[in-house]
Amino acid sequence: MQHEYPRNGESTHPSSKKPKLSSKFITESDIRDEFSHHQQRVARINNGSYGSCPNSVLTAQRHWQLQFLRQPDAFYFNVLRDGITASREIIKDLINADHVDEVSLVDNATTAAAIVLQRIGRSFAEGKFQKNDTVLMLHCAFQAVKKSIQAYVTRAGGSVIEVRLPFPVNSEEEIISEFKKSIEEGKSNGRKIRLAIIDHITSMPSVVIPVKELVRICRAEGIEQVFVDAAHAIGSVKVDVKEVGADFYVSNLHKWFFCPPSIAFLYCKKSTSSSDLHHPVVSHEYGNGLPIESAWIGTRDYSSQLVVPAVLEFVNRFEGGIDGIMKKNHDEVVKMGKMLAESWGTNLGSPPEMSAAMIMVGLPSRLCLDSEEDAVMLRSHLRDRYEVEVPIFHQVSVDREEGVRDKDGFITGYLRMGKLAKCFIRNEKAVIKVGAGFHGITSVFCRLLMRAAFTVFKESYKRGAKSSAEELELLTNVI
Amino acid sequence: MASSLHDAPSAAVNGTFAADAKSQVHKKPRLYADPSPPLFTPSDILSEFSHHDPAIARINNGSFGSCPSSVISAQNDFRLQWLRQPDDFYFNQLQPKILQSRTIIKDLINADHVDEVSIVDNATTAAAIVLQQIAWGFAEGKFNHGDAAVMLHYAYGAVKKSVEAYVTRAGGQALQRGKQNGRRVRLAVIDHVTSMPTVVIPVKELVTICREEGVDQVFVDAAHGIGCVDIDMKQIGADFYTSNLHKWYFCPPSVAFLYCKRSVNNSDLHHPVVSHEYGNGLAIESAWIGTRDYSAQLVVPKVLEFINRFEGGINGIKKRNHERVVEMGQMLVEAWGTHLGCPPEMCSSMVMVGLPACLGISSDRDALNLRTCLREKFGVEVPIYYRSPKDGEEGGVTGLGMQSINLLTMHSLVLLFPIHKLK
Repeated sequence: MQHEYPRNGESTHPSSKKPKLSSKFITESDIRDEFSHHQQRVARINNGSYGSCPNSVLTAQRHWQLQFLRQPDAFYFNVLRDGITASREIIKDLINADHVDEVSLVDNATTAAAIVLQRIGRSFAEGKFQKNDTVLMLHCAFQAVKKSIQAYVTRAGGSVIEVRLPFPVNSEEEIISEFKKSIEEGKSNGRKIRLAIIDHITSMPSVVIPVKELVRICRAEGIEQVFVDAAHAIGSVKVDVKEVGADFYVSNLHKWFFCPPSIAFLYCKKSTSSSDLHHPVVSHEYGNGLPIESAWIGTRDYSSQLVVPAVLEFVNRFEGGIDGIMKKNHDEVVKMGKMLAESWGTNLGSPPEMSAAMIMVGLPSRLCLDSEEDAVMLRSHLRDRYEVEVPIFHQVSVDREEGVRDKDGFITGYLRMGKLAKCFIRNEKAVIKVGAGFHGITSVFCRLLMRAAFTVFKESYKRGAKSSAEELELLTNVI
Repeated sequence: MASSLHDAPSAAVNGTFAADAKSQVHKKPRLYADPSPPLFTPSDILSEFSHHDPAIARINNGSFGSCPSSVISAQNDFRLQWLRQPDDFYFNQLQPKILQSRTIIKDLINADHVDEVSIVDNATTAAAIVLQQIAWGFAEGKFNHGDAAVMLHYAYGAVKKSVEAYVTRAGGQALQRGKQNGRRVRLAVIDHVTSMPTVVIPVKELVTICREEGVDQVFVDAAHGIGCVDIDMKQIGADFYTSNLHKWYFCPPSVAFLYCKRSVNNSDLHHPVVSHEYGNGLAIESAWIGTRDYSAQLVVPKVLEFINRFEGGINGIKKRNHERVVEMGQMLVEAWGTHLGCPPEMCSSMVMVGLPACLGISSDRDALNLRTCLREKFGVEVPIYYRSPKDGEEGGVTGLGMQSINLLTMHSLVLLFPIHKLK
């Protein structure tokens, strides 16, 4: 089916204008249909990792894919570039960028990090930066970003400063204060901080960072460039790149903005430095500017970059559009997080105003989560045995005296709750798992706790012994 | 419609295929225990490619390939599995399935070990990987400023730019003429089958010459290689070899392999998009470069199944493609009084056919205009190449690339006959 996609994005910031295609909003049964391809029995509480893509967008994507396969040459010459530009125009308006030239589409935030850091690496290699000049990042930066820094900065002779974020965190001031301390350290011994990488919403543990304030501090302290890794931001918090004021800002549209895997935008504020940015996969478009380079990196399937108009159409079928969706997600995840923390006697990892569509909920200390391995095991157990998909975070306690306690001991684990609000998934069969997934989690954990032999479970998983598994089954059934 | 042109996939399927010593150098991997799935019938083939625009004669298979419906279907199944429960797919399915594809490819190309085979998007990405390690060689002082990378004049545009981005920028020289002033040649980039104009290069011989001349490393850009010419890593002997499977090997866009001989210091090869897998070897790094759709990399088993339903498998297909395209090329040069771009034995599944001088093509722009005109007015998709005159020669040369299963290309050639009337 042929859609008439808007070729020129809406010209005003979405918070001031709510375009509606019809006066009728999306219904619950529409929503059920849109997500009918999700595995019905699984409670998806990890929307943050891989997102959710509605059927109408998948259909639009298939349309683009088929169009390419029908006549790929004509598609390449006549359709592809315009389609990508249309998506970029929409994104430019959504994020309040000045010019579409500032918006490039790439696969994901991981790719964007490679682009920005490769440039930093070149500057070290070409002698523009002194050896040991620094790059600043958060201690809990995404692992791919850390590795990218290793691959491009450390290897080229740069040094790295990590800002240790307090967690659980109680206020923005705590973060700002740690940030300022690290800047001092980064500038010590006559070094220059060449780049600061700041998450807008950290991944594990997940907290909304006061980026606008941190960017302002960077400018005041003479940090040359700031790169905001906002992988989770769009569709989750308001994104206004001019307000944030960073040089580079990346966000994945396939997490909270209903796009299929995968598509992200990299915003690069127009300045002299943005002219030396290149996509690491070099095509014949090399030198024509990052947006053009990124729009052709060899033969591949670009269809996920072409469906942004269809996604906007989908989002605008909800009352309040993306703003309405964001609010519902936030309200619901906070409500559910509080409910769990109360019923377990634990805590939230951050106050509600420092969370968006995800929240960290302390796990009962009696689970004795003592390592990253335990966290992985628990996650697998929840997936395999209870069909609940939720990431588990192990909190390494730096100073036990300052750790948070519940009535039984120190809280060493958190789950990251991030799901689309209940209104999205209302399926009679799945309601036990998904629509009321939180209740599911509560009962699961109650059972695990009541066994009080969680250590037995851990041991048996490690040994993989069949008899222990049988033991476990017995225990679980009894309870 | 000349019936002699109307092919018969039946002729293709039932045609004599004399197995010769060269055709089965190494074993054909078969994944299925079930005894020979039936060979394709003409109507099977029509339905496998029913999604192609029926009004267009596709004579440019070389650029974007052709993917059969059964493979697209398999790909959609994988996409759906991911969407159903992505975390589970990530933790439990993705890596084993990519490994399965890599293992099949390893057997197809006669590599020693699956660790030597990485899957990437396309040859363009492979070039970036190989050239990036050269750039580090310069940046870290392993190479001297002025040491060179050598490539063919007809190297693919993206590869030339990649050499500029990674080698020249890092202080190396990009040469088309070989060693100068006693500097070392750190890398030679050789095409197996050039793109425009298209010619099969004697890579085995060139690699031998490189070794004799003391070239550090040889990278064979065989974007058109697999499914088009015979490829045997041990025979060719290059350090790096890349080929796209979405050109002549029926894969959807996009999937390519990069072979890296084990003797090379592989620990220094990295995918430029760095994920948490950094440092775990190129094959593992390439298998996770952030959240994206990896489905094209997972359908290789299904593609093998498809290919084995042709008589002679991929070797049968290659042979028939070559014979057909040479036959058609010769028919055209006779009709137009021109010549082929190279002798038949240096053609693969693509051939360059000289265009009549009366067309008056005298620039790249003219060539592109002709191509657009052929697409829009005549429904023919074919790349046109222009080379500026040497020694009084004139004229553009057309590249024709086709596969035996595409019936429509036969019809299109009839349309091309009155081409001299275009002017």
